[in-house]
Amino acid sequence: MDLLRLAWRNLWRNRRRTWITLAALAFSIMLVQASHNLSSGVYAQMIESGVRAGSGHLTVYRSGYLNSRDEKLSFDPRGLLPDLARMPAVEAVLPRLHLGGLAQSSRESRGIVLTGIDPGKEALINPFLRRLPKDRQLPDGVSRKALLGDRLLRELQLKPGGKFVVTLQNRQGEMISELFRVHGVIHTGMRELDRSLVMIGRQRAAELAGVPGQVHELALIMKDAGQPAAVAQLRRLLAAERDLRLVFWDEAMANLANAIKLDYASQKFIFLIILMIVTIGVVNTLLMSVMERSREFGTILALGARPATLHRLLFLEALIVGSVGLLLGTLFGSLATWYLVAQGIDLRHWIDSELEFGGVVFEPVLRAVWDPLWMLQIGLYVVLLCVAAALYPAYRAGRIVPAVAMRH
Amino acid sequence: MSLIQLKRVCKSYQSGAQRVDAVRDVDLRIAAGEFAVLAGPSGSGKTTLLNLIGGLDQPDQGQVLVEGINLAACNAAQLADFRLRRIGFVFQSFNLIPVLTARENAEFVLMLQNAPPALRQTRINALFEELGISGLERRKPMELSGGQQQRVAVARAMASEPAVVLADEPTANLDSETANGLLRLMRRLNRELGTTFLFSSHDQKVIDHADRVILLKDGRIVA
Repeated sequence: MDLLRLAWRNLWRNRRRTWITLAALAFSIMLVQASHNLSSGVYAQMIESGVRAGSGHLTVYRSGYLNSRDEKLSFDPRGLLPDLARMPAVEAVLPRLHLGGLAQSSRESRGIVLTGIDPGKEALINPFLRRLPKDRQLPDGVSRKALLGDRLLRELQLKPGGKFVVTLQNRQGEMISELFRVHGVIHTGMRELDRSLVMIGRQRAAELAGVPGQVHELALIMKDAGQPAAVAQLRRLLAAERDLRLVFWDEAMANLANAIKLDYASQKFIFLIILMIVTIGVVNTLLMSVMERSREFGTILALGARPATLHRLLFLEALIVGSVGLLLGTLFGSLATWYLVAQGIDLRHWIDSELEFGGVVFEPVLRAVWDPLWMLQIGLYVVLLCVAAALYPAYRAGRIVPAVAMRH
Repeated sequence: MSLIQLKRVCKSYQSGAQRVDAVRDVDLRIAAGEFAVLAGPSGSGKTTLLNLIGGLDQPDQGQVLVEGINLAACNAAQLADFRLRRIGFVFQSFNLIPVLTARENAEFVLMLQNAPPALRQTRINALFEELGISGLERRKPMELSGGQQQRVAVARAMASEPAVVLADEPTANLDSETANGLLRLMRRLNRELGTTFLFSSHDQKVIDHADRVILLKDGRIVA
């Protein structure tokens, strides 16, 4: 307790230096915590957006479909759908059929991906469909109404209500053509998707492809994506279907997952550099304080203290600096996170066009999410780094020769 | 039996390219309860001899025995323990810890010894009373005069009831009146508690107060 009091008072001998060190520590903790929380928020938003418009949190495919996109690898989901829909952890099951083909208007033709969906279910989940007015949504059941990507619409020189023909090869190898009418226009912000997407009712698509009742994927939207019990239950359910695979979103949307991993890895590297700089600052502060107090340390050793006492003293000083830095940094980090959660950063002031990242368009207002465990963890790392920063100064202090130190 | 015994002690230092023989072939005995001074001009080896007796330095040759312990045979940890329990130091520049109060400074050695708070309080109260610095307990060294700081340093040296107090030029930074007052106090502690005092000084006032004067010149005892 006495040593702790001495350590505390020692820190305030040179108030300006201690405050500068604390400010550097607090600022870097705040920066790292707020950046992490903001990134987590943006990643979560991108994943959610990608999951709802794309693969779902979990997807059921036939083995091999994910890598080959072979249209022949379809399956009949009718045995599974009622069980999946009954699971409490599942918010929605979205069956989809994806077919490659050609769209022709009276003026132009373009290669397309024809996606057969269950309009009623999809419109509740898919953010691009949710944006459409009600009268532009696809009706359930069999119809000739289609939704087109806005670029495709322009390239085919069509207008809403206009007609176009879709031609594709069915499962039997025959070329099939069918007339559709533009019922609504979708804007995803993703160039490739907007120039190739055609959505129609699933039943119609399956009939066109000669695979009635079949799908290529079942996208599962979960109430809690990370629930292991739900995943285990799904695996049990699919155990009987040997040809089917349950795939997590990060495998189904590998581009997005890898883009996030890469982005976060580069952030971690920056965090590391920030923390290294701060640690060097703490080493410098402690080393300076050891140099300044060498006569005093000589006296303490002369009075009968062992070098370990000086080691403890310096580790306590570093621990106090780290802990106060942690408290201040976490306070400022929390304030910054609170602002970023409540207000966010509105990119619309700076950027006109939509931003695509890893195949997903992200919202122009970046918002943070709270990650208190990580905030605490990074704070504790900083405290540990501070204590580690005391190693060399403590070693130097312990090697002071009292008779020599007191002569100066 | 002598409290302190030096047998043919030699100590030299390297000062740049030059080798300085600070202590040469010194034989010395100090009995318990003595009030002695190592006198001599600057560079005569007073401080080196005091450091050797206090276990702050090791001799190149010979033996330094304090209470029968051969300090030359002790390792660093044993020497630290020896200084902590058997030696009290008073330094020329007081060497108080500036962030601690007068009481905390005086208690410092007891704190290192892990002495219980009640014992610390009793000893420090008695010493502050004896040394005439009661009421100054909460002051920091910067708020004390030179004489008051040196009294706190004496309280620190005496707090652990050491076998011997080694005082290196204790009056060098004090005016005559303060120096005389301090010497009288130490003399009284010597008589009342029987503590052995060994000074290094070329101050005539210290020499006048001493029972025994050991005169050093060029690292040798000459008288």
